[in-house]
Amino acid sequence: MEPLARHRYRLHTLGALATLAAGTAWADTPAPDMSRWKCEQCPFVEGYEGNVEAGAIYPSGANFSFGRYTGIDANKVYADVDATGQYRDAQGTNASYDIEKLGLPYGYGDAEVGREGRYEFKFLYDWQPTRLFETGVTPYLGVGSGDLTLPGSWVPAASTAGMTALAATAAPLKLEYDRRTAALLGSYIFNPALALHLELRHQDKDGTGLIGGSFLTQAIQLPQPIDYVTNTVEADLLWSGRRANLRVAYTGSWFQDVTNSLTFANPYLPLVPGSTSGRLALPPDNNLQQIAAKGNVAFDWLATTLNYAISLGQLSQNAGFLPYSTLPNYSTTPSWSSLDGSVNLSHYSLAIAMRPLAKLNLRASATYDGRDDHTSPMTYGYVITDTFPGPNGVNPLYSEDWIRLDGSIDYAFTRWLRLGVGGRYLDTVYYPDPVVSHTYDTRSWGWATFTWSELSVTLKGGNATRKADEFNAAALPPGENPQIAAYNYAARDQVFYDLSGSWSIAPTLIWSLEGFYGNNTYPLSQLGLQSADERRIATTFTWTPRAGLSAYLTGGYQTLSAQQNGYTSSTTPPWVVTQGERYWNVGVGGQWAIGQRWNLALDYIYSPTYANTDTEVGGVAQPFPQNTTSLNSLRIDLRYTWTPAWQLHLLLLHEEYNSNDWALNNVGPSTIPDLLAFGLQPLSDNVNLVGLTFRYQFGAGSKPSTP
Amino acid sequence: MSLPAGSAVVVIALFAGAMTSAAAAETQPPPAASYSPKGADSCLGCHDDASLLGLFKTKHARPKDDRGPFGHGGLQCEACHGPGGAHVAAHGEQPAGIVDFGPKARASPAAQNAQCLVCHQSNAHAWAAGAHAANNVACAACHTLHAPQDPVQNVATQVDVCTSCHESEHAASLMPSRHPMREGKMACTACHSPHGSTAPWQLVSATTTQTCTNCHAEYRGPFLWEHQPVTEDCTNCHNPHGSVQPALLKMRPPFLCQLCHEGAGHPSIANGPGGLPGAPGGTPSVYLLAGGCTNCHSQVHGSNHPSGRALMR
Repeated sequence: MEPLARHRYRLHTLGALATLAAGTAWADTPAPDMSRWKCEQCPFVEGYEGNVEAGAIYPSGANFSFGRYTGIDANKVYADVDATGQYRDAQGTNASYDIEKLGLPYGYGDAEVGREGRYEFKFLYDWQPTRLFETGVTPYLGVGSGDLTLPGSWVPAASTAGMTALAATAAPLKLEYDRRTAALLGSYIFNPALALHLELRHQDKDGTGLIGGSFLTQAIQLPQPIDYVTNTVEADLLWSGRRANLRVAYTGSWFQDVTNSLTFANPYLPLVPGSTSGRLALPPDNNLQQIAAKGNVAFDWLATTLNYAISLGQLSQNAGFLPYSTLPNYSTTPSWSSLDGSVNLSHYSLAIAMRPLAKLNLRASATYDGRDDHTSPMTYGYVITDTFPGPNGVNPLYSEDWIRLDGSIDYAFTRWLRLGVGGRYLDTVYYPDPVVSHTYDTRSWGWATFTWSELSVTLKGGNATRKADEFNAAALPPGENPQIAAYNYAARDQVFYDLSGSWSIAPTLIWSLEGFYGNNTYPLSQLGLQSADERRIATTFTWTPRAGLSAYLTGGYQTLSAQQNGYTSSTTPPWVVTQGERYWNVGVGGQWAIGQRWNLALDYIYSPTYANTDTEVGGVAQPFPQNTTSLNSLRIDLRYTWTPAWQLHLLLLHEEYNSNDWALNNVGPSTIPDLLAFGLQPLSDNVNLVGLTFRYQFGAGSKPSTP
Repeated sequence: MSLPAGSAVVVIALFAGAMTSAAAAETQPPPAASYSPKGADSCLGCHDDASLLGLFKTKHARPKDDRGPFGHGGLQCEACHGPGGAHVAAHGEQPAGIVDFGPKARASPAAQNAQCLVCHQSNAHAWAAGAHAANNVACAACHTLHAPQDPVQNVATQVDVCTSCHESEHAASLMPSRHPMREGKMACTACHSPHGSTAPWQLVSATTTQTCTNCHAEYRGPFLWEHQPVTEDCTNCHNPHGSVQPALLKMRPPFLCQLCHEGAGHPSIANGPGGLPGAPGGTPSVYLLAGGCTNCHSQVHGSNHPSGRALMR
């Protein structure tokens, strides 16, 4: 494609609609004489260059709380290696690699080869731990497998207090899992207008999680084996024209759960003879197939861009059923042996953006999303928690249609004031049993952007109403109280304000701000959620007095409050619960280049949270203890440039986290009579970490090259 | 009184004519511009700061890639910055007509973005439909194109770029329950398409649930026994940007569950602090402590067990 033809320096416009064909063409910028465009001073990469940073870190006091997403959970020396490099030759063949956190429990690496403008291949590997709790214990044997047994010395009892062998058999338990991702990505560029991208991704997660099992009202916390594999294929064909482009894509994703069930021995005295074990289903294998087409078309007429997107997909699940129960008399499976579940997903969208005047923007979009569950409803038997049979039931299907219309218009009245209005209409239909269909109108009724000199402020306000067009109480799930008009079905009135802005107070000082207020009420709900209120504000000052010196001060405050009520029975007065959360964060830091060799960076974060739960039963207030968390983190990075090639990096980190949670505090394995618990305790840590790494830069460096 | 159908056509035609005429009036042709005599060599004679030369370590400076500005026939620096002939002729004293980028740019965000979109329509195909375009955000507000490594394209540093404007999300990223963004293991673009999307919240997939299950495929289903709010929208129960409550929940069980479940067949219980350990006269409650409702109803995301109707198997 002729490069100049892609360069839109011309503005075409058309006359009145009656003379569409008689458009006025502007003069193009004359094409340059490129005979002297040698790019002789262009320092293109040629040869090999890179850098490696290697050293070690040592944390003191590290545990699962500190190493939640890093896996740095032990007091030991960890190697820490980063490396990057790239190679390019004059013919445009290139290669690169990037290795991050090699030696640490979390890291990443990739390697890429290609030929400029022709093809690229990239292989990447990423490893990511998740540490949940290390304070638990369990008497179960076979942790990590799908079959949990109790020691031979186990003494079953009617409640946890009577489980006399518990103390002797409880073994430490770590709840954690690791995720590893490997992917191969490729691109082939047929020509500047047409390219194919392909991605093959393999991800596995393995470890131990937490899941509850029960025998009627007697419950157990169980170690859940996590052994998931997800393989994904994505292929994209991209076509780019001068005025339009199109992307056609295919996605296939296959999820496999290697352990599809968890059988566990009953630690309680069986409520009925034979109820000595239970069995839970774990997530079934499933797959997603999806095709999509999306793109846009640009028109000169009123500077219009039309966007479109279509995607059609299907979720499928056909994993074999487990037996109804571990009870000998109910050990059969449904005769059809698997669900053969299928859900169609569809998305159609059309959006238009126009700028008929330089000061006027118009936007509108229409979107349809559908989730159509066409699994066959069948009648299933029922054994309640491997204890005794219950009534047969038919699997419910939940399908939804969403139609969303959005529109907005804004106009710049002056250089410093732009005003806009917008609205959204959402129509939701739940089927095939229509509990409710509702419409949802959102109106942004005051949308103003003030831009005055170095100050820019956008204020948006609006209200929204969700109302049921149809509510069929009879179609609620069995046992539901029709008075509740469940949370996401309920009529709702909402008011919201949104504020964002920035101000260059001085050439070296910038202040930015973001705030939100939202209030929701549920005027027709007699039970359940009655109101919810959210307020948040966040702000940052950034000071950059000169190159090499900068500082920031940031802070945020958020409150969430909600009120709900309920009836234990129709003869008792309602209970009321008020939830209130407060969250703060304060951060301060900066960076200082001291002379030519030293660079100091400092970051401090303090972030406490407070959560109150106040209940009121029969008019008597009963507040829960306050749940709290606090994070204190100070990080200092000191870098010394020894030579242009060598650099030393000293890292000092102090981090302290404390939490207080009434759901976990003082809950040991046998504290609750009818829950054999892990005895997990709230997370806390107090860590000092020191790291020392050396960085070496090497290679041919950059030099001019002729294109 | 009804107007004949033809009247509507006339009205529309007049409106469109007025709009296009106005557009023509407002978009005066630019002054005659010319390119520099030696392309990038003209520019680099003066603009040779190390911070600018980082561009030559990026994919924008690949001389064998004909798609890029430094490819065969490419306009080099002027592909993005516009014709610089007058600027060169005036020895840098006349920057009018040059398109500059960044927070202190003279060029408007729309003018800056028009330059980028000349080439990047295909990977920003929904830009015009997106919230960033609607809010007049410049590409260069996020992208640092002369840096050897654009921070917004690196998983570890992207969140800092995004939250420089989305400050509430920065605050949320420090909450006790959160995704691994602070550790640099997850980018905002895992869920959001900053270049525009026809999905709500500029999500990468058509719906919230489809976006979440891109990673959390174990909850994708369909299950034999579905939980309706799970099929509809994960954010019915979870705050994806961070939460004071565990597991990114909006509330903790049992109160979260009792927003909907008030069934006469399973009476909602006025859970009070009497169910805590050590409460005078109380008994530690399985309905309240540890996982609350999920101690028994553990399969809240759905169950494929034939006897999993109550999400207990």
